[in-house]
Amino acid sequence: MSNQQAIATTASSPGILLLRWIRRIPLYVLVLLFCIITAFPIYWMVVSVIQPVEYSLNYPPPLYPLAVDLSPFREIFQAENNLGRIDYWIGNSIVLSSMTTLICLFLTVLGAYALAGKRWRGQGLFGLLLLMTQMLPEALIVIPLYATLDKLNLKNNLFVLALVDTAFILPICIWILKNVFDTIPNEMRDAAMVDGCTRMGVLWRIMLPISTPGLVAVGVVAFFHAWNEYLFAASLISNKEIYTAPVGLAAMISMVDTPIDRLMAGGLLFSIFPLIFYLLVQRYVVAGLTAGAVKG
Amino acid sequence: MGVQASVNAQFIKPAQNRQRDWLPYMLALPIIIYEGIFILIPIIQQFGSSFTSDIIGFGAAKGVGLANYERMLNDKFFWNSLRVTLGFMAATVIVAVGAGVLAAVLMNQRFRGRSIARAVMTLPWAFPDLPTVLVFYWILNPSFGIANVFIRFFMPWLTENPKWLLDINLAMPLVVAIASWKAFPFYGLVTLSVMQSIPQELYEAAKVDGANTRQAFRYITLPALLPIIMLSGILACIFAFRQFVLIFLATGGGPGRVTETLVISLYKTAFRSFDFSYGATIGVSGFVVVFVITLLFVYLQHRQEAEAAR
Repeated sequence: MSNQQAIATTASSPGILLLRWIRRIPLYVLVLLFCIITAFPIYWMVVSVIQPVEYSLNYPPPLYPLAVDLSPFREIFQAENNLGRIDYWIGNSIVLSSMTTLICLFLTVLGAYALAGKRWRGQGLFGLLLLMTQMLPEALIVIPLYATLDKLNLKNNLFVLALVDTAFILPICIWILKNVFDTIPNEMRDAAMVDGCTRMGVLWRIMLPISTPGLVAVGVVAFFHAWNEYLFAASLISNKEIYTAPVGLAAMISMVDTPIDRLMAGGLLFSIFPLIFYLLVQRYVVAGLTAGAVKG
Repeated sequence: MGVQASVNAQFIKPAQNRQRDWLPYMLALPIIIYEGIFILIPIIQQFGSSFTSDIIGFGAAKGVGLANYERMLNDKFFWNSLRVTLGFMAATVIVAVGAGVLAAVLMNQRFRGRSIARAVMTLPWAFPDLPTVLVFYWILNPSFGIANVFIRFFMPWLTENPKWLLDINLAMPLVVAIASWKAFPFYGLVTLSVMQSIPQELYEAAKVDGANTRQAFRYITLPALLPIIMLSGILACIFAFRQFVLIFLATGGGPGRVTETLVISLYKTAFRSFDFSYGATIGVSGFVVVFVITLLFVYLQHRQEAEAAR
């Protein structure tokens, strides 16, 4: 007892407090180092956009913006830019991602409802099919898909690209929504059934309204999968008119004379939406990618 | 609730045996058809075309038996791409998962500004691939990049700027660094969520038994984290194996093929040399790698579930 008291009194004395602070310095240094390494590239992108391009092309470039010039954001929307216009590309990406989201939401609801109920024969096989699809690298089937779509004259078609993108993100979306469905108590469904609801009615009237956050998470994941997707977009879209933003930006990287501030402004504009939305739905996505996949 | 559910299940079971419940099959069918069209059929086509010779501009495809496989096994660039892939996988798994776990351990401490630090450390995960390449390309620009300033500060004896992504010795480590920068927050988030689920009583009990912080970490935290670290490792393997955009746009597989992984080599064979059937053959060898990793993943999952059930 007296021992505990002694600890309590010494802990509050200024010397011990100082010592405790000194002990914590390595932690703070490490955290700071981590944060700097993580944030610096994004910070640098912002700096390269908002400072006049002359500063970026000085050597050594200043570590913080010495002047602010927001004209790159205006310039990337101007038609004289013969490299193509980032606003059109982003428009195409919005169309593509919206289509992907709609197709994916529809199929995800079906799949998650199939997995969320009582176990059925073949469920394990269905789970394995999803897992295999989730694991499959896109690049391994880009050749046959390209060949087939070329033969069927379905290249340069954003809707077809949306269908392809859905195929790859669907498994993860199903796991995410299944996890959410699993948190809904069985009693709730049973009660609705007793009240005369059909099982599709339970899905429509009970499950979906309760799982709105999960549906939002699925929508965000599907939307930004298509938003980021480069490989299929680059191989299936050759018409500059319907370039998606990743393909357009990649084309800009490979052109030597693209002004760096505009390139960065395009990149920043492209990143803002995913940054905001991903951080909002983060916990659903992490759970879906791990816990969801674990329960095959 | 769990007991209630199982009682319900037992109660309903006899009825189920009499009449099969078709609803889940109806629900799953559209998805099976969908994935069949977009995933399974292309895989079969891939196998098929690996036995043909199909080069754009050389007429229709014709069967050549195992010639493509023979060519692949004697192709030193194929073996190079396999080596590069394994090297890239091993390095990113170690760096990304390692950094993720370290970040999780840090973020699990109590300190001022923790929520801000957490948000900052999540950023790269939400940052899309294209802008990632864009900004690193700019940071690592041999003439104007800010990386030159840093390297000159730490190594003042350098007489000229490194070539960075164009340097044969630096390209691979840099690509690994970029990929890890993008990937580590995910493993950090996953690990952190597991760490927070460790019951606090365990640590209190350990403290009562006289364990210090290090011992508590060694005997409580680490064993609890080991399963998720292993699972993360396998996921990281898959993600590294399928990594295309970052490598392709940062180096294009160069310089001198030092960063040409299997998927890059496949893509270049098909879409630069227009040799579709040989590209498909490389793809088939990729399936083998993915299949092995997936089996490992399923095996680990089952073992962990069995352990969790015990």
